[in-house]
Amino acid sequence: MLRKLLLLIFLVTPLTLFGQSISDSQLLLIRNDSPLVAFRILIPSGSANDPAGKEGLAALTGSLLSDGSTQKNDYQKILELLFPMSASYTVQVDKEMTVISGVTHKDNLTAFYQLYRDAVLSPAFKQEDFERLKADQLNAVSKTLRFNNDEALGKEVLSASIYKSHPYGHPNEGTEKAIQSITIEDVKDFYNKNYTRDRAVIGIAGDFPDSMVEQVKKDFASLPTGSVGVSSAKLPEPGKIEGLNVVMIEKESQGTAISFGFPISLTRSNEDFYALMVFNAWFGQHRNSFSHLYQVMRGMRGMNYGDYSYIEFYPLPFFTMLPRPNYARHQQFFEVWIRPVQHQNRHFALRQAIRELQNMIDNGMTQQDFELSKSFLLNFTTNLAQSNSEQLGYFLDDRFYALSKPFLEQVKTKVTALKLNDVNQAIKKYLNTQNMIIAIVTQDAASFKEALVKNTPSPIQYDSPKPESILQEDKQIMAYPLSIKEENIIIIPAEKIFE
Amino acid sequence: MVRLFLLIGILSLITALAPASSVFPYKYQETTLENGLKVILVPMKNSGLVSYYTVVEVGSMDEVESGKSGFAHFFEHMMFRGTSKYPAEVYNQKLAEMGADFNAYTNEDFTAYYINFPGKYLEAVMEMESDRFMNLKYALPGFQTEAKAVLGEYTKNFSNPFVQVEEKMLDTAFETSTYKHTTMGFLKDIQDMPNQYEYSLTFFNRFYRPENCTIIITGDFNPGEVLAQIKKYYSAWKPGNYVPKYPVEPEQKQEKTATISYPGDTLPILAIAYKTSQFSPTSTDFAALIVLGNLAFGETSALYKKLVLDEQKVDVLEPDSSPHRGPNLFWILARLKNVQDLPDVQNAILATAEQMKTTPVNPKQLADLKSNLKYGFLMKLDSSKNVASQLPRYVAFIENMSEIDTFFQTLDKIQAEDVQNAAKKYLVVNQRTIITLTGAQ
Repeated sequence: MLRKLLLLIFLVTPLTLFGQSISDSQLLLIRNDSPLVAFRILIPSGSANDPAGKEGLAALTGSLLSDGSTQKNDYQKILELLFPMSASYTVQVDKEMTVISGVTHKDNLTAFYQLYRDAVLSPAFKQEDFERLKADQLNAVSKTLRFNNDEALGKEVLSASIYKSHPYGHPNEGTEKAIQSITIEDVKDFYNKNYTRDRAVIGIAGDFPDSMVEQVKKDFASLPTGSVGVSSAKLPEPGKIEGLNVVMIEKESQGTAISFGFPISLTRSNEDFYALMVFNAWFGQHRNSFSHLYQVMRGMRGMNYGDYSYIEFYPLPFFTMLPRPNYARHQQFFEVWIRPVQHQNRHFALRQAIRELQNMIDNGMTQQDFELSKSFLLNFTTNLAQSNSEQLGYFLDDRFYALSKPFLEQVKTKVTALKLNDVNQAIKKYLNTQNMIIAIVTQDAASFKEALVKNTPSPIQYDSPKPESILQEDKQIMAYPLSIKEENIIIIPAEKIFE
Repeated sequence: MVRLFLLIGILSLITALAPASSVFPYKYQETTLENGLKVILVPMKNSGLVSYYTVVEVGSMDEVESGKSGFAHFFEHMMFRGTSKYPAEVYNQKLAEMGADFNAYTNEDFTAYYINFPGKYLEAVMEMESDRFMNLKYALPGFQTEAKAVLGEYTKNFSNPFVQVEEKMLDTAFETSTYKHTTMGFLKDIQDMPNQYEYSLTFFNRFYRPENCTIIITGDFNPGEVLAQIKKYYSAWKPGNYVPKYPVEPEQKQEKTATISYPGDTLPILAIAYKTSQFSPTSTDFAALIVLGNLAFGETSALYKKLVLDEQKVDVLEPDSSPHRGPNLFWILARLKNVQDLPDVQNAILATAEQMKTTPVNPKQLADLKSNLKYGFLMKLDSSKNVASQLPRYVAFIENMSEIDTFFQTLDKIQAEDVQNAAKKYLVVNQRTIITLTGAQ
């Protein structure tokens, strides 16, 4: 009798008994009455896990899941099946995480889930899909990134330069030669080693039945098994930057795109992050005229379309107003983004932005600006995580950062508690303008190099009257010294970057 | 066409409530004030966010005077430059205190201004919004500085080859239509903007009038209270009477082509566009073209399978039949992997266009598309913020919200024969323009 009972238990719950199941701790469930059901599956691997010489492998593997066939259906069939539901799933790959997300109307939940599940659990890795997606990824780097968006290029060059010889030091899509060398076996190997059962976190949000949860737990138990407790490779520290180092990309361009920055040792898990957040919102809130840089460069002087700063990576596409979740990283960098300026104003613009930053390091924020920024941040968070999918994304990032409370709640409590001195101390502690990478996309780079080395004054001409206070300040800006050694400026033709 | 307001003093308020079985899944309240201002309120429970849109029925198609292209867009920029009561710095500071996420956009047919903010500030936002739409006041220096920011916008867009293709297509396909120039405008007109201060004030007076505007508010609020506040803040806004004289585009008599040589190594782009009629929710032609575009050139089409998946010559293949207030274009856009494939890809697209005249679409595909369009509409409404962001695309082209249902009913009624008829009527060689963009090798 006892033997029969034990056998019955075994048959009923084999997965649990032997630990081969998705445990509840790997599930993130948000129940509400929204008819749009969202899924997000997070795999804690990304382009930082690309093997040397195979940069772009994580991204290509992700593409084969989102845009490739499954063992059950070829890709054309998948498109046909998704079509009447107007539902879709996508994969985004960043340095340390890959997220496969999908949304469907609950009317189509069962049919959609089957396709989504198959995409993650049983990708076919067909040769024709591999060839198509590898060619697309190669074009994305060798043509589109190099030539079609000067701002994106500048930002990517900045990141690669800050993280030179570091796992973050290549575009997520990889480099030209590395992509060319990737084989389909590489992709299968990456999938098997990284998309493992013990590491996946699965989020579902919306009006879904309990049976969906049970189905997910059962199905995703068949992810490849990896060693329990495997974590992402320990990241080395980024290289120390000494002095101002300039990387100029030479290409025919309508204007000059500029980004500069340096690593900072802050993420959402650090107390000081929230202090620096108050400064950063005031100094350069993304695509918001609250940004001080925007006000003094675009607003007062009409230099360009906008100027912003970041203490956390902001993903493409940059025209979005709010950041998308699931680009969380253990290492961040401070960045200033100057949108393309007229070539004749490039030196002035660079000087102005650096001078503004140094001014804040020297003098700190005023009480008035500090209070305004606090008010901004406390209210601004209401805008974030509005959809089911975004909510899942934010909670997944909270897990990555091991936050005791959700980030959006932490912002409120920590920012409320901050004093002006906390913020000004953080500015002095974490920011500087002496040791940075400056990435520039421009034409006639040689003459800019010469002007930078010689600290040639760079007056600005306006074709309309400006207040005297601006003209007086311009005299200081145009002569603001940037100590840049000739050997610290390199010029790379666009066609050669990311080879 | 700018709506003429003909009912002054006769009806003070027209209020309509959403019928139970709408394609649009949320209850809404639709009202027109005495001065013609339309208001659409969609109360929705959420985390406390309110989204406030003002949609103005003016776009680059209304730029009828030579040398003034790009003004609707430039003017959108000027709307952030302040009033006597709320100068720009004060306006920006107040929105900053509220933690607002705000911006605006312009296209050929309308301009939309939006602010997303915590609901407790709704009345304060309404006061400022009504003020700037009625009393915008900016001085010459700010105007001239902002013209440079517009130039900066043009500059940052320029490296995008799709932007160059659009510019070339519109300039080539149209002769006299105001769709000939893009929303950004011709570069020479942008460069001249600092000299157009007086014209900008004329532009405001002409178009920024209540009868041309719709306010859309979604989120957590009490509609009764909010409607009363809208009446309080906006009733003093005086209607206008300007009607632009739109140039009539002469009938295209033969195929047009143009090429762009892009400075840099970029993937080739092929764009083929046909002249079409303007949007109307009851237009069978327009609905049939949407169906045709999707089934012939969309992701589930035989052409997509051939060019993108099997032959792998193309990585982007998309139809575009967006609604417009005037006669516009039906596009097929392709991005190729190799320049030597241009003739093959062009022939394949044109052959598909021909085939659509003689081969009926299959019933399952048609049914799937109708389902796709309905769910596609619903899928975009994934937050109260996105409900607000989706509505301007409809509101700018319809008289009232029930016409969204009308539009979907027109789509539902499309049969295979309608698609063939649309192909025969519109996909004709002397109505098309072909643009190719190639990069330096």
